[in-house]
Amino acid sequence: MDRRELLKMIAVVTGGAVIGSEFFLTGCTAGGKADVGFTPGNIALLDEVGETILPATTSPGAKAAQVGEFMKVFVTDCYPQESQDAFVKGINELDEACKKMHSKSFMDCTPEQRRDLLISLEKEAKEYNKAQEEKDKPRWEELKKQDKEYDFVASPKHYYTMMKQLTLLGFFTSKPGATQALRHEAVPGKYDGALPYKKGDKAWAE
Amino acid sequence: MADNTYNAIVVGSGISGGWAAKELCEKGLKVLLLERGGPHEHIKDYKTATKNRWELEHRGYTTIEQKKKYPVIHRGWAASEEVMDAWTNEEDCPYTEIKPFTWWRSYRFGGRSVLWGRHSYRWSQMDFEANAKEGIAVPWPVSYNDIAPWYDHVEKFAGISGSAHGLPQLPDGQFLPPFELNIAEKDVADRIKKQFKGQRHLIIGRVANISVPHNERPGCQYRGRCWEGCPFGGYFSTQSSTFPAAQKTGNLTVRPWSIVTQVLFDAAKRKATGVEILDAETNQTYEFKSDIVFLCASSLNSTWIMMNSATDIWPDGLGSSSGELGHNVMDHHYNMGARGTIEGFEDKYSFGKRPTGFYIPRFANIGNDKRDYLRGFGYQGAASRSGWRREVAELNIGADLKDALSEPGSWEIGATGFGEILPYHENKISLDKSRSDKWGLPVLAMDAELKENEMKMRKDIVEEMKVMLEAAGVKEVKTWDSGHAMGHGIHEMGTARMGSDRKTSVLNKWNQVWDAPNVFVTDGAFMTSSACQNPSLTYMAFTARAVDHAVSELKKGNL
Repeated sequence: MDRRELLKMIAVVTGGAVIGSEFFLTGCTAGGKADVGFTPGNIALLDEVGETILPATTSPGAKAAQVGEFMKVFVTDCYPQESQDAFVKGINELDEACKKMHSKSFMDCTPEQRRDLLISLEKEAKEYNKAQEEKDKPRWEELKKQDKEYDFVASPKHYYTMMKQLTLLGFFTSKPGATQALRHEAVPGKYDGALPYKKGDKAWAE
Repeated sequence: MADNTYNAIVVGSGISGGWAAKELCEKGLKVLLLERGGPHEHIKDYKTATKNRWELEHRGYTTIEQKKKYPVIHRGWAASEEVMDAWTNEEDCPYTEIKPFTWWRSYRFGGRSVLWGRHSYRWSQMDFEANAKEGIAVPWPVSYNDIAPWYDHVEKFAGISGSAHGLPQLPDGQFLPPFELNIAEKDVADRIKKQFKGQRHLIIGRVANISVPHNERPGCQYRGRCWEGCPFGGYFSTQSSTFPAAQKTGNLTVRPWSIVTQVLFDAAKRKATGVEILDAETNQTYEFKSDIVFLCASSLNSTWIMMNSATDIWPDGLGSSSGELGHNVMDHHYNMGARGTIEGFEDKYSFGKRPTGFYIPRFANIGNDKRDYLRGFGYQGAASRSGWRREVAELNIGADLKDALSEPGSWEIGATGFGEILPYHENKISLDKSRSDKWGLPVLAMDAELKENEMKMRKDIVEEMKVMLEAAGVKEVKTWDSGHAMGHGIHEMGTARMGSDRKTSVLNKWNQVWDAPNVFVTDGAFMTSSACQNPSLTYMAFTARAVDHAVSELKKGNL
């Protein structure tokens, strides 16, 4: 059982108050901070990728939460070098994959075409991540033997997995995400451990 | 008062130091409270406490730069954007790991009292007599009855919320009204009680969060952000509690940026005369004089100070004559447990962020229960409905995904064990004179590890949690054990234990250094064994008791 399990457990124990749980392991490690290659063009593209994953419905979507800009900040400041590179390269790879599937750029596609592409990328990502995890296993086991699990840095996940993770994180912790898609209560003032709930009621923001 | 002269000097402003300062000031002594870090003012300096999550640039995560500066903090869950200022700069303050040791330090006013987990449990007589009964290390020189009135004393002031259960292994105290178990936890509690015939208990965690207004503090607002510092004084910290009380007496002087480098010792009189400090900002050295000195610099740092003191008389430092200074390092081992999914209660949710979870008190090696290891463990955990971070298998994109994640998921329950670590002489810290910190001071070298007793216990902790959850009808129960480097429990204890014999202990039963009776050590360093309960409440009680003794001895002219 690895660190993500512990983090997940702590999120459970604290009712989710401590950030850093199941699939956000692509955290921060040593490496240089540099201009990693974000442009207004690819930030706009990331906004649209985000919007395809979490579209505006009765509440605002990922684009309104500026997830493209959030991804830029997060990847630049918090991602280890290897993941940074994989992410930035992934922006072009995504567009290439789109051209292959729909013969046009992601920005020129219809919402349905975008959705189809991302569904196919999700499948590809699943296989890719599994292979990466297999590759990491010996390194993990070795560190575990030395009681140094904390030194483990996972190999980069598929670029689409990173984009999706950052879309979820960026959206649900944004103001529109927390206050409109979810419910936000800055000062609850009391605890109720048996609050009546009916399907459709929104979850509390972290 | 002559320049630089006080009745008492307290080193460290965390939980123990804050208590020492308050009690000494209230007994009329002029007190100098020294803190090696900078100021950290109640409310005003809680910079993120009133910010919304979306106002944090990295939404709670840390940066590559921070990871480089704080590698040890990044080994655990404590690396979080909102509290990174709290942690000690590891480049400035390194230490040597002969064996892996995770040391979580906060060098600023209030120390870890601002960040702490707040769980507050009494020890019982079975904890105080365990060493003697089993022939482990040395016996405690005190019994539960000696400490009980001091638990009363500190609980009344600090404000400990909890429920009474009459359990011999976890004595009840002076409680404020308890926080509440939620509906899913109540169900699991009932089932465990029934399945284990009243021998096991799942109770609400007893915490130093005030469930009602207390001592002019308005109380908990259920924001779930304690460790950022509470603008409502919702929990006990130096800032919210002991410091204002000490300050009110007019007897307190606080000096930040004061690294105590040694206790000054008069060889002829065989007592301390004060301390020497290094100003962390100016690198100037100063001496302060006092009748008594309280070392509350955190377990390992109090011992570091002693190791650097009176070395002309004892090469290994003040308190080293027994050969036990620096030895018997303890902690609580955790990072293992079980979790699962609770079916049902879909028509119930929770409101507000409760500042505690549940606690399962020790049941191993109690009464007729016998294990293949010594001592025991408790569990801390909680049940709650999962949030948007959960994985949703089918709905992987679009409006359906968004709608699903905008609603709470199923009820999940999980708990981690906190196990006792025995005091082993060979688990030790020492000075590493080959390395120095930013100020040229020698650093500590850590050489401690879990041994067979703890490893056997870990297996049992995991297994028993699984058994209990399954007995309570919890589904998809999964276990984990992520290993445990010493220190990771943030309950580092020992290195200057108390005892009845000066040949085998550093302190006597009043927390006085045998070799310098006007020096008191009342942080975790004095612990003779570790029990499995969170230790801070016990430090508070011993500190208040030691102050009472110190002042009465001082008045009698014995110090």
